[in-house]
Amino acid sequence: MNRSISVTLNALGLYGIVLVLVAAFAAQILLNELPCPLCLLQRVLFSMLAIGPILNIRFGPRPSHYALSLLAAVVGAIVSARQILLHIMPGDPGYGSALLGYHYYTWAFIGFAAAIVLVAIVLLFDDRSRDVAEARPAGPFADGAVRLVIGLTAINVISTLLECGFGACADNPTLYELLRWLR
Amino acid sequence: MEFTALFLSALVVMAVSWWGSHRLALALFSIALVASVAIFLHHATDTLNLSF
Repeated sequence: MNRSISVTLNALGLYGIVLVLVAAFAAQILLNELPCPLCLLQRVLFSMLAIGPILNIRFGPRPSHYALSLLAAVVGAIVSARQILLHIMPGDPGYGSALLGYHYYTWAFIGFAAAIVLVAIVLLFDDRSRDVAEARPAGPFADGAVRLVIGLTAINVISTLLECGFGACADNPTLYELLRWLR
Repeated sequence: MEFTALFLSALVVMAVSWWGSHRLALALFSIALVASVAIFLHHATDTLNLSF
């Protein structure tokens, strides 16, 4: 697999992460469902999942960059699996609304597991570890993906600050603490 | 507050990955990941009602 194909696949991965972060925001804004601490942590780990592809796009694909994605995906899968187990008992309605039959944390688990499998498949066919990786300018497709994911993470910084304020985040948040504090 | 800090650290790592040095990005990623795990362990205190 040459560098051009690898960069395109990494950019596609970033667009997938953008989709996940936008879906989470849509639920937060349209349904007025504020994310719980574990939900926020899953969003953080989706953002950290994007760092491997960003490095691959800028410096060229390296096994170490894929390792970063694998580490973030494994931690994300553990966090989302714990939240699934918290709500697994019969009669438990789960946290938040379901989307296509699954809650956000179940989709998050599926997303992290899919990321692990996809990174492993890309590594199987990515034989550029012997090449000298160097920084090169990205094309508009990859550049757009990187800027989108960075922008969404910046919006998450503001949103989380509004939700939690300067204290600990509520276990079951129902309002934006910082806005309440400012009134 | 800790989640705002985590998002901010992820944002900084992304910015360094895209515009800064490679080694610094790897170092900051490690710190952010360890902090994420620490915050997860801090919050994972509720007993799971499971029986195996």
